[in-house]
Amino acid sequence: MGVVGLAFWALMFLLSTRVLIYFQSVEVIGDLLAHHLLAMVFLTFFSLLVFSHIITALSDLYLSKDLEICHASPADLEEVFLSRSIYTLADSSWMVIVFGLPILMAYAYIYRPGPAFYVDLLHMGLAGIVIAAGIGILFTMVLVSLFPAQRTKDLIMLLSIFAIVALYLMFRFLRPERLVDPDSFFSVTQYVSALKAPDSPYLPTYWITEMLWYSLSNGKGESRLFYALLMWSTASAVVVMNLWVARAVYFSGFSKAQEAKRRRGGRKVLDLFAHLLRRPMGDDLASVMEKEIRTFFRDNTQWSQLLLLGALVAVYLYNFSVLPLDMSPIRLDFLQNQIAFLNMGLAGFVLSAVSVRFIFPAVSSEGGAFWLLQSSPLSVRRYLWGKYAFYLVPMVFLGEVLIIATNCLLNVTPFMMILSAITMFVAVFGIVAMGVGLGALYPRFEYQNIAQVATGFGGLMYMIFSALFMGVIIVLEAGPVYIIFMTDVKGTAITPMEWLFIVPSFLMVLAISAFAVYKPMKVGLKALSQYE
Amino acid sequence: MIKLINLTKMYRGLRAVDNINLKVREGIIFGFLGPNGAGKTTTIKMMAGVLKPTAGHIIINGMDMAKEPSEVKACTGFIPDRPFIYEKLTGSEFLHFMAGLYRLDHPPDLINRITELLELFELIHWADELIESYSHGMKQRLIMCAALLHQPKVLIVDEPMVGLDPKGARLVKDIFREEAARGTTIFMSTHSLEVAQEVCEEIAIIQAGQIIATGSAADLQKKSGVDGNLEKIFLKLTEGKKLAHARPLSST
Repeated sequence: MGVVGLAFWALMFLLSTRVLIYFQSVEVIGDLLAHHLLAMVFLTFFSLLVFSHIITALSDLYLSKDLEICHASPADLEEVFLSRSIYTLADSSWMVIVFGLPILMAYAYIYRPGPAFYVDLLHMGLAGIVIAAGIGILFTMVLVSLFPAQRTKDLIMLLSIFAIVALYLMFRFLRPERLVDPDSFFSVTQYVSALKAPDSPYLPTYWITEMLWYSLSNGKGESRLFYALLMWSTASAVVVMNLWVARAVYFSGFSKAQEAKRRRGGRKVLDLFAHLLRRPMGDDLASVMEKEIRTFFRDNTQWSQLLLLGALVAVYLYNFSVLPLDMSPIRLDFLQNQIAFLNMGLAGFVLSAVSVRFIFPAVSSEGGAFWLLQSSPLSVRRYLWGKYAFYLVPMVFLGEVLIIATNCLLNVTPFMMILSAITMFVAVFGIVAMGVGLGALYPRFEYQNIAQVATGFGGLMYMIFSALFMGVIIVLEAGPVYIIFMTDVKGTAITPMEWLFIVPSFLMVLAISAFAVYKPMKVGLKALSQYE
Repeated sequence: MIKLINLTKMYRGLRAVDNINLKVREGIIFGFLGPNGAGKTTTIKMMAGVLKPTAGHIIINGMDMAKEPSEVKACTGFIPDRPFIYEKLTGSEFLHFMAGLYRLDHPPDLINRITELLELFELIHWADELIESYSHGMKQRLIMCAALLHQPKVLIVDEPMVGLDPKGARLVKDIFREEAARGTTIFMSTHSLEVAQEVCEEIAIIQAGQIIATGSAADLQKKSGVDGNLEKIFLKLTEGKKLAHARPLSST
């Protein structure tokens, strides 16, 4: 993990350096662009910090299990609030700092400022984090005083999912690929001038930007002391305001968060779903799946992820609809089929990403209640294969929709359409089996949040094996597909020698897919049977 | 009805349950006593099919747990000490889920049985509420409903009174007595000597993974040579012996 982190850090630094070098090469507006980019970076990180503090404060100040001990101790309310706030600050800020640093270091590398830059960065950055933390925590305290903490958690999760989907779609539909087209450069210049608009002098990020730009541009800015005083006085004011508000509403909010809530379960629609399962799966398995469906749709943190999935699929399909294939110097039918072929790998990767989030945690989702299944007459074998069958159907559907829709958009040959559809159909069996099997091999029944299950070692292993599996399938099919396509283009027949290569290759794909179903399920079954 | 033969469970070299042999008659409430960490829960979990024994056999209703696990589990009910259940289901949905798991026949008998149990355990007004809003004691009572739903021949219970208020505890004791009178064998672990004295017809005492005494309260009185309640007998029998395992499992 450390290596991956370092590699990511290095990549961020290199990318930022490249962008800044490019900006410097642009006459007149180069420095302006770099200045605005700095403002954008701070604004983005500041917003992220505020948002991250809202979410973290909710658990650190209201929902964390050790809070009962803190509040039962003789410590003052302010002490408890301050210590938990500092913990929240550290908890939510470190990642933003880590990811922000390479960009700022790239600025330092390109502009070579004096030591004052680093001193300013340190203290202004700290003050900025304190302000962001203060705003985030304040917002959380107000939210919790209006709604019970448990509901606030659902609300924030939902809002964040909506925000991510909206941002993702917005960015995608802005079509950044147009920026490489010189014809549209005029609109980019307009965009640069428009960058000034959101940068208000009343925002703390503006003060940090101006102060650091002062050091970076060797003194061509406004007074440093003024901005430092503005920043620190605001940070102090935010802390004091938080303490006032905490004194008024924190304890009552915490107390409300401990109260049990009565919630009735909605039935009608879910009953219909459940009823459909009963006949093909049998009473015992259908009960497990029915429970799974009800739990999924009643947990806002779970079903809302379907929105992300929807956005992912929409953007995926949209990308294919805007591919500028006609501008390529390569023969159109060749390119279309080549992309369609590579698309199988890409679609496989999308399915793996969906699978790691929804199928890999399927066993762990039983949580502490797994004993109910262990002590029931339902065998582990039947349980695991039942889960497999349950997830296989929607995944086959998703895989085929992705492949057929993209192939239609690409207007590929019937051969490629059939081959892709069959390959995807076969591959999904392996992708789902690996998800269920490895999920059973690495179960995490003691999770706080089901989303964490996919981010552990098992989830990583799943993604690696799944990518390898798709890679092997693509490699095995590449040769035969090329031969078949070229003979079609040349109008010749496939030679017996070529058949000797093509048939075993496709048989190997079938064999590997069968192995990808059998082995993970066997390993998972063994591990789950012995789970204690 | 229940036979434990040379039952052993090892955790990385430590004998948590050490060669236990026990026989439990049909239709009685059997108390399984011992201090904390003596091996009660491990034994109970093996009997419920949640843990796999390292050695030995568990025979319930004439069937070996190792050979016919599904059949054995179909005629047993298990009530663990901690009520972990699916919080996003309602009480009624949870009982329907359990009915499906045990392949019980569906309406109208099942609905009547569920209503009867929910009324018996005083949960009927909470039947359509999500379990996440239940208290600890209510969850415990709901699990008891689930364990009795399929009318098991053997009920395996781990610390049944934990988290129950006095009224709830009284209710549970009465229900256990009624079930035993109907022929259900109840194997109940507890460290509460008062509970054991009040409801159990036979008792076994486990210490550091080994059974040190079995029999009725009168048998134990004779064996210990002490006149008085079960507490005095228990203290006499365990006198001078190590109470639980000398080292924690994590140290192995």
